[in-house]
Amino acid sequence: MSSTAATPADSKKVRNRIFIAVGTIIIIATYLYLVVGQPTDIAQSSFSQSGLIAIAGYVVGAILLAIGAIHRLPTATVAMVPVAIALNIVVGQIVSVIGLPVYLDSIGTVLVSALAGPAAGVVTGILTNVIWGLTLSPIALPYAVVQVIIGVMAGYAARLGMFRLFYLAPVAGAITGIVCAIVSAPISAFVFGGATGGGTGAIVGAFQAMGQSLLGATTLQGLLSDPLDKAISFTIVVLILAALPSRFRQRFPFVRQYNVFGRKAPALQHQTAAPAAPAASAVPAADVTDATPDN
Amino acid sequence: MSSTLFDNRKSVIHRLNPVTKLIALLAIIVTVFAIPLWWVAGLIIVLVVVPAAVISGSGGRLLSLSLRILLPIMLVLFIVQGLTFPGGKTIIWQWGIIDVTSEGLLFALGIGSRIIVLVLASILLVLTTHPGDLMSALTERGMSPKFAYIISSTLQLIPAFKDRADSILLAQQARGLSLKGNPLRRIKIMLPLLSPLVLGMFTDVEERSTAMEARAFGSTARRTSLIPVADSMVQRIARWLFIVLALAAVATPILLGLL
Repeated sequence: MSSTAATPADSKKVRNRIFIAVGTIIIIATYLYLVVGQPTDIAQSSFSQSGLIAIAGYVVGAILLAIGAIHRLPTATVAMVPVAIALNIVVGQIVSVIGLPVYLDSIGTVLVSALAGPAAGVVTGILTNVIWGLTLSPIALPYAVVQVIIGVMAGYAARLGMFRLFYLAPVAGAITGIVCAIVSAPISAFVFGGATGGGTGAIVGAFQAMGQSLLGATTLQGLLSDPLDKAISFTIVVLILAALPSRFRQRFPFVRQYNVFGRKAPALQHQTAAPAAPAASAVPAADVTDATPDN
Repeated sequence: MSSTLFDNRKSVIHRLNPVTKLIALLAIIVTVFAIPLWWVAGLIIVLVVVPAAVISGSGGRLLSLSLRILLPIMLVLFIVQGLTFPGGKTIIWQWGIIDVTSEGLLFALGIGSRIIVLVLASILLVLTTHPGDLMSALTERGMSPKFAYIISSTLQLIPAFKDRADSILLAQQARGLSLKGNPLRRIKIMLPLLSPLVLGMFTDVEERSTAMEARAFGSTARRTSLIPVADSMVQRIARWLFIVLALAAVATPILLGLL
């Protein structure tokens, strides 16, 4: 997400920025409204209206973000997004078949964000849930904003160099998970009444029995599962990327520009740096990170 | 496109313009959430969703698909809210420390009726609308063709992707990879599965993007449509009617002071 994403006309660039800004504001405003104006008496009517505001605000905000983001993407990135979405969905299904207690349905989103930036992550995220809705279950659609947040946070984590060291990635993942849990809680509470699945529903019930409000219970339930899930997802992505050939990773302009993997790409520099970093295809090592003064 | 739920039939509902169906779906969702009475949701199911499903001929698939999705949710919703709803006072059934409150059950009924409408109506849309038609209809209305490309391309990619993942999993099992063990061990399985998958799938991407660029994919000019999506005056009026109805549904409870 920078000036190098070559958009031809300046007017379009401004328009895209407005879309992104308005989308972000709507999402934040929706959350604040739902938390501050939380129906405390839980009268049926205002509660139901909150559900409408949760869906409408999040979906409209996510769509605006996606519209603003997709115009920034070069063709090479657009061609990559379907692969990432398929990765999200297929891995998500395999994980449920193997029987793991996590979702891992955002590996593709994190991967694309690390390789092509937050804008690509946003588009991957929202379209993952659209396709999930088309192929498996429409329950996923109101949660599109969660995948959007994963895309944004993973992209900026990559820019900040969180993918250079394999132990920083789970930290970035856990932080992303916390934000996801907080943002998705109003949907779970106001739209689904806390019942999004057997295990999660039981946890929500337990928190309610302890005296939490429904929103508080869904937030706590999310905080139990999301940070772990996202930390694992980020770790898997950083391990996959480390296992892939360096030539593959350095093909992406975003990776080269922000030095996502802490390695100077151009052949000339690489030769001079060769004595210092002997294993050219090894795991991103701690010693290469200090060669990144341009951050 | 076997990966979608689309049920290929030739009914009136299938032939409707996808945008009309999409707006109808949005209007229905807005209505049930705006008017907080469970019997409004019930009326919409009986008067709109069920007749549409019967006319489309996809009623059977709608029933089986939505039961699979809704049954666990409804079960959890009624049990959890019936037992632990924070505002519950009137105890209608008690056994030991377990109290079922009528407030909790009413709350679950309100939420549940809306989820049922949401799921039924959206599955009906997906069953009766070919994703390609929906994409071309939306692109005609100014959606970026990049969205259409990504969605259509993913739907074709998923089966191929699954095949590749299966064959990699089999190959790794043949080399002695075990799928059993504790959760942590099973997460480790993902790595020997994912690395070849990602490398293989992403290496195809570069060639594809060159081919797309050569066909002016990045052009921002407005495109014409190869297959125009059928539309009619009646549907145009109906769409506006749906929008007005949805707005009315939002306004009614505020005007009547229900809020």
